[in-house]
Amino acid sequence: MTNKNWASTLRRSLTLLSLLALWETGAQVGWLDPFYFPPPSQVWEVMFTLAASGELWPHLGATAVAASAGLVIGLGLGIGLGFAAALSPILAELLEPVMILLNAIPRVILAPLFVIWLGIGLASKLALATVLVSVLLFFSVYNGIKEVDRRLIERIRTLGGGRRTLIRELYLPSVTAWIMGNFKVAVGFAFTGAVVGEFVASSRGLGYLLQFAQSTYNAALTIALVVIIMAFVLLLFAIAERLERHLLSWRYV
Amino acid sequence: MLKVTNLAVGYGGAPVLDSVDLDIATGEFTSLIGPSGSGKTSILRVVTGLLLPLRGTIELKVAARDVGFLFQDDALLPWRTVRQNVALGLRIRDVPPNTADDQSEHWLTLLGLKGQGDRYPGQLSGGQRKRVAIAQVLALEPRLLLMDEPFASLDAIVRTRITQELLEWVERKQLTVILVTHDLEEAISASDAVYVLNQGAPATVIGHHRIEIPRPRDVLEARQHATFGPLLRCLWKELSEESTSSYTNP
Ligand SMILES: Nc1ncnc2c1ncn2[C@@H]1O[C@H](COP(=O)(O)OP(=O)(O)OP(=O)(O)O)[C@@H](O)[C@H]1O
Ligand SMILES: [Mg+2]
Repeated sequence: MTNKNWASTLRRSLTLLSLLALWETGAQVGWLDPFYFPPPSQVWEVMFTLAASGELWPHLGATAVAASAGLVIGLGLGIGLGFAAALSPILAELLEPVMILLNAIPRVILAPLFVIWLGIGLASKLALATVLVSVLLFFSVYNGIKEVDRRLIERIRTLGGGRRTLIRELYLPSVTAWIMGNFKVAVGFAFTGAVVGEFVASSRGLGYLLQFAQSTYNAALTIALVVIIMAFVLLLFAIAERLERHLLSWRYV
Repeated sequence: MLKVTNLAVGYGGAPVLDSVDLDIATGEFTSLIGPSGSGKTSILRVVTGLLLPLRGTIELKVAARDVGFLFQDDALLPWRTVRQNVALGLRIRDVPPNTADDQSEHWLTLLGLKGQGDRYPGQLSGGQRKRVAIAQVLALEPRLLLMDEPFASLDAIVRTRITQELLEWVERKQLTVILVTHDLEEAISASDAVYVLNQGAPATVIGHHRIEIPRPRDVLEARQHATFGPLLRCLWKELSEESTSSYTNP
């Protein structure tokens, strides 16, 4: 890390810390009602108890499984359909309107429908995460292929390359760039799908805990869960970024 | 080597080229000059089969794989290193990776890009990228070499040096070359023949000049040859009449 990076990290941490300190003081001296705004120390205590008692882990595990399975299936489905649509005009005609429609609506509204169809178990969460991710990926791949530089296609053709070379040297790398450009968003979507699915109807998962905290007016637990979800997503982002830097190393030289 | 007869080319609307005839013998270096937008690139695209003509015939004495086309703009694969870009055509021809890498290194060295093989195109200057594109095409050792303003972005010294080296290579290997250029002196000093296109549209060939400067040539000394000055003035006149007529008669 450079000096500049250190300085900016330091500045941000200081800002965050002073905000937390202000909040803590506000709650302690009675400016803030701890029923609505429990102080950070109390939130921390709830988080600690959740983790130490072991209660958190099965819920975190359930959400992580739903999100990561949804991410994998969504990636596979989105990439597969995107490729198929880009290479076959007939499929494109069938798929594009459906995808555009799915892209236009807030897709989480499908959650209740999935619960009715698939029950309150893993399947409905998986389905929601998959739909969220695959629509996003469909468009990255479809556009990635459609908007490939025409001049590069001509280069490869005049050098004697056929379809195989075009796919290997041009379409795959260009699609990888588009996918990686959206990968972080996809990770976020998968998590959103899983948590919202659990929130709507389930018996486990972070979304379920969140629903429970809300129905019991437990603000400390709610904030603790939001922080845990944020931390987890940030961790996933960091991993996604590493992957991106690895796969798109030519962009970072 | 290449005989184009009664060629017409269009992009949907009115034809941009009409009644174009070219006759280029094997081992001949031919330049194609003409105002911007007259259709020089279009002719090369038709010869390589990237564009279908409206009318006319193209007789080519070599297989498509022996035609090298150096494009006007230097689009390289951004995700491949310079060496991989140069080796691309070789890899397409199933040359083993190690041999392909060695050969690209050889061409990079020849074009003054030694040690740049592991960089990415985005890290190079415009002139360096142009030379990578040249290496990419030359590495395939084409029999017919089509070049669309290959030296436009190079500085005068590098430009003269590369033209000279290319000329020697072409003379040694008996290559047939078509060079599109805006530089009349370059056209005369390197070529055996020059075709002049008019403004159009549709454009057509308005001049065909043979250049009798003996080979092997030195691109700088060729400019001292007795026929150089008169021909330069002649080409200049043909082109400038074209550009004035296109102003008065749009
Ligand atoms: N893809 C295209 N679609 C429509 N018109 C085109 C296309 N490419 C070229 N043209 C037109 O065809 C004419 C000839 O273009 P061309 O690129 O062959 O000219 P040029 O002689 O190579 O010009 P320059 O010296 O500027 O490169 C121009 O009028 C141009 O507008
Ligand atoms: Mg051109």
